[in-house]
Amino acid sequence: MNTQPKELKRKNRTELWYNMTKRIAVVAAVLGGILSVLMIANYIQTKSVDPLNSQAISQLMTRLQENPEDTVLIEQIRALDLLARKAYFTHQWQIRTGSYLLFAFVLVLLLALKYMSSLESRLPDLSKGLEPEKTWESRLLSRKYILYGGLGLVLLAFVLGVLSQTEINKIGIVQLEKSQGTSDYPSIQEIRNNWPGFRGPEGIGWSYHTDVPTEWDGSSGHNILWKIPIPHPGYNSPIIWEKRIFLSGADRRTQVVYCIDADSGEILWQTELNDIPGSPERRPQVTEDTGFAAPTMTTDGTRVFVLFATGDIVCLDFEGNRIWAKNLGVPENHYGHSSSLITYQDLLLVQYDQNTGGRLLALKTQSGDMVYDQPRDVEISWASPILVNTGNREELILNSNPFVMSHDPRTGQELWRVRCMLGEIAPSPAYADGMTFVVNDYARLAAIKLGESAELAWEYIDDLSEVSSPLATKDFLIMAASYGTVTCFESKTGERLWIEEFDEGFYSSPILAGDLVYLMDMSGVMYVFKADKEYHLISQNELGERAVSIPAFMHDRIYIRGTKNLFCIGN
Amino acid sequence: MKEKTSKDRIKRRDFVRKGLHTIVGLTAGGLAGILFSKSSSEEMVWQLDPSICIQCEKCAVNCVLPHSAVNCVHSYSMCGYCDLCSGYLQPGAKSRDTGAESQLCPSGAIKRTYIEDPYFEYTIDEKLCIGCGKCVKGCNSFGNGSLYLQARHDRCLNCNQCSIARRCPSRAWKRVPASRPYILRGDESRKYLMG
Amino acid sequence: MLKPLKFFLVVLLLLSPLFVLSQVQDRFPKPDFQSDYIRPDLLTPAPRAVVLEYMDIFVLVAALILATYFAHKQRSRRNIFLLMVFALVYFGFYRKGCVCSIGAIQNVSLALFNPAYVIPVSVILFFVLPLVFALFYGRTFCAAVCPLGAIQDAVVLKPINVPEWLATLLGVFPYVYLGLAVLFAANGAGFIICQYDPFIGFFRFGADFNMVILGMSMLLLGTVVARPYCRFLCPYGVLLNWMSRLSRRHVKITPDECNNCRLCEESCPFGAIKKADDETPHVSRESDVKRLAVIFVLLPVVVFGSGWVGSRLDISLSRLHPTVSLAEEVLLENSGKRIEMTDATKAFRASGKPSEELFSEASFIQNQFHKGGWILGGFIGLILCLKLISLFIRRRRLEYDVDKGTCLSCGRCFAYCPYEQVRLGLMTPEELKELDRRDVRIKQFRA
Repeated sequence: MNTQPKELKRKNRTELWYNMTKRIAVVAAVLGGILSVLMIANYIQTKSVDPLNSQAISQLMTRLQENPEDTVLIEQIRALDLLARKAYFTHQWQIRTGSYLLFAFVLVLLLALKYMSSLESRLPDLSKGLEPEKTWESRLLSRKYILYGGLGLVLLAFVLGVLSQTEINKIGIVQLEKSQGTSDYPSIQEIRNNWPGFRGPEGIGWSYHTDVPTEWDGSSGHNILWKIPIPHPGYNSPIIWEKRIFLSGADRRTQVVYCIDADSGEILWQTELNDIPGSPERRPQVTEDTGFAAPTMTTDGTRVFVLFATGDIVCLDFEGNRIWAKNLGVPENHYGHSSSLITYQDLLLVQYDQNTGGRLLALKTQSGDMVYDQPRDVEISWASPILVNTGNREELILNSNPFVMSHDPRTGQELWRVRCMLGEIAPSPAYADGMTFVVNDYARLAAIKLGESAELAWEYIDDLSEVSSPLATKDFLIMAASYGTVTCFESKTGERLWIEEFDEGFYSSPILAGDLVYLMDMSGVMYVFKADKEYHLISQNELGERAVSIPAFMHDRIYIRGTKNLFCIGN
Repeated sequence: MKEKTSKDRIKRRDFVRKGLHTIVGLTAGGLAGILFSKSSSEEMVWQLDPSICIQCEKCAVNCVLPHSAVNCVHSYSMCGYCDLCSGYLQPGAKSRDTGAESQLCPSGAIKRTYIEDPYFEYTIDEKLCIGCGKCVKGCNSFGNGSLYLQARHDRCLNCNQCSIARRCPSRAWKRVPASRPYILRGDESRKYLMG
Repeated sequence: MLKPLKFFLVVLLLLSPLFVLSQVQDRFPKPDFQSDYIRPDLLTPAPRAVVLEYMDIFVLVAALILATYFAHKQRSRRNIFLLMVFALVYFGFYRKGCVCSIGAIQNVSLALFNPAYVIPVSVILFFVLPLVFALFYGRTFCAAVCPLGAIQDAVVLKPINVPEWLATLLGVFPYVYLGLAVLFAANGAGFIICQYDPFIGFFRFGADFNMVILGMSMLLLGTVVARPYCRFLCPYGVLLNWMSRLSRRHVKITPDECNNCRLCEESCPFGAIKKADDETPHVSRESDVKRLAVIFVLLPVVVFGSGWVGSRLDISLSRLHPTVSLAEEVLLENSGKRIEMTDATKAFRASGKPSEELFSEASFIQNQFHKGGWILGGFIGLILCLKLISLFIRRRRLEYDVDKGTCLSCGRCFAYCPYEQVRLGLMTPEELKELDRRDVRIKQFRA
């Protein structure tokens, strides 16, 4: 009888403690929860707006550059800066204090919960008897799951291993390939930063300088920085490396290379190349619209290379001194040789397709020694090669009759060929995003998808170009014809997006700078339009003389070789 | 009979266990011996080599502490005390004063005080410096290079793997002995090595 | 007033290319002070004093000795708990959880494979001492000294029983984690245990947001699944497990003998108690023996196969090494596949180091990962086979005992045992004899 009230009292007291602790726990949990939410919100806020790198302040600062005397602006900046700094340090304080507080709440919560659970008496539940079947079942399950789990783990690792192997080659293999070449040649970055050959770096008509002018006028001189006459004619296009422009010119008597300063337009040097060993006594027959200096020069950053219709191929340094010169044999070419030169690492590559058959030549840039002379199963061509990385290898793609062929530039070995061309081929291939495009008038415009093998993806047979090389971007293909039609296709499907007629025809090829296409007609008028599903003309600019060459894009200038002068266009 | 075999089993198990126990013990001892031969009693701490640092501003952000343990230090012996300080003033600052629009430092941690004509003293307030390195970049490009970043060991926790070191693009972080925990520039480094 | 300033700035900007070329030089002459100005000293605050490192070692040893004493001799859960709280405060919040014994695995791996790394003595001791204690006395480190274990133990509220098959399956992950940690540390790719330590953010009061979330989740999980990191992730736990299995003296649930009263069955939140069992199985002995034989025969195949798979991971794993990832980035840029340069490649190119050297270093590291991958894969394969084999071994257990490998010597189960009650003087031996196994009549029961 006596113990009852005592036990009851104890029970009541325990219940009291229990309830109190429960309340404390709830309060701590709620406060802790609110604090966590606040801290997360704080974190998100500072993630989006970093007070010490404020957009607003930098905008005001740029305005201040323009109006340095504006005291109101200065006051504004000072006030904003103070606020930003305060915000940053407040945030720091908030994190610190918040973490300590949160820690305290969690601690209180934990202690409360532990105390509560210690007050609850937990007695073991032995109502169920020993269950040997259950233990054995569990054992069998474990066996099964270990087996499957283990297999799964190994399989997962295998898949990961296989997936990663195909992505990038082991560095060791690539390093070996690189160590073969010992001369200094530019990296792809440097190539793209200059204009080293026909239709720009890689020869596909892409300019990596996009801050170029969109309007100029030859007659008024607006945006024409300078123009100089080039004494000897030549249909080759200017090439540029850093501050030097290189051109060649030739006539029945002379072969010349010019070097012009890109800023001033001054001719730094001009070298005559008339006494090349092996050069023919009599110049070969060429037609007037090809001339003796049709192939565009190329450079590897320290040397320039030039090829003339006589078969003379010369290497000069940047000061105009001859490094080596030889004659490749006069090409059997009834119009005159016009395929331009291109370099690959330490090799100078020449597409030498003539009436006697096709050849791909590779000479060492250092010495001019022939590295390979690969015969090609094609007829004569006037197109130029492109050198692109098609995903996991470098390919030199050449357009000729009847095949479009791809070669490994290092060895000259043929990689693939597609039969799709006819006639006298002059346009060079285009390339973008795993597809190459070739065209010739009276044949077709063919889009070839590359991969392990090359397949014809689509073709088109109207308004074909006979001279101008097409331009491919990731989404579009643009082709300009000699009789003035420009067609734009969706590059993957071949769907014709738009077609425009112009008064004059096009011999020059379209060039891509950013998302603008620059296309010059034979009268020297440059049309600038967007590479887009619809035709949007941005501007139309007159040069003031006829032009058929490819414009060169460098930094924020465009260089155009007209029939008489070299123009420099810039803001 | 059954008891005997179970007892035998237990004896066998015990023997195997004792054997393994000894082998493992010896291996552990051997391993410890090898490790001791490669050890030093000196603790190592993390530090930034200012000659390799490219001032990418990652030191301010990647420290595990909310206020980075890295901040800018000033080598007074190397400083030119210039009026036109390229570590203090923004490039193209129109006026050489302490106005916020002229200052490079985003947290206002550099204090400029006039000494005499034409010299100004620049001091870093470590509580305010966040270790972004903007002033270091300016001082290295156009000045004497007397401002540089260092990990401060009154704050640095000396983590086993420094999260700044892991992300440094120019790999400027290294472990240095705790007795010489700074890589200093100028005359301060000489004093440091001697004292 | 401003014109000369502008001129000066313009001159400065025009000359800037020159300035950028030279890094550190006296562009401006040292001032010649007319007044009596003295240059202030550069403060160089020292790091933590060396004597405090020795104190850490002393505290570790003392804590290990005390933990062992409390567990074996005193058998006092309360004292173990108090020691655990002390360890949490000292090794956790005061020392900020670094260097911990778990992370020391990496330092040891690096020291064994990289001659340039000098391992501090304190780190060696942090690695070796708990293992030595475990070898002799069981995992007393886990219960009362490890700060990561302590913080998890502190949040255990309503632990559930993880089904045995799940526990066995998840028990593979610590081995994988250990293998990967050793591989990465030995190659110099980084310390992944430190990177992915979920609790260190709490000790430091500062961490990456993602790590805070991970830590919170782990602790939340820890309220219902007791010590999830310790049981299913801790790589050091693998080593302690091995040591503890071989230990001469391990804590037992009962201080005396076991009468199979089953009262301790539900007492271990970590599932480390092995029940007395006859294990009369469904499956016949012959088929089991056959299966076991198959596993033994297949064991070398599995080990070889998983070793091979591990070696195939060399490329993807090596990417975590900073040298290899830098080499890959430089390669991508050189071949034209990527146009934008990163900070790291810009810094590398500015350093003037030839790319061939970088590529050969990266190639070497990839080879290391290839060899290491073989070993890692083979190790995991071996572990999987051994686990499977262990599931075929039938034991006839006559009493309730701890699983020596997984028992953390925390002492929670002691109070459940009636023999312990007798030892503590809360029950008389006669009352014990009267205890009916199936009838639950317990006095003074504290959970």
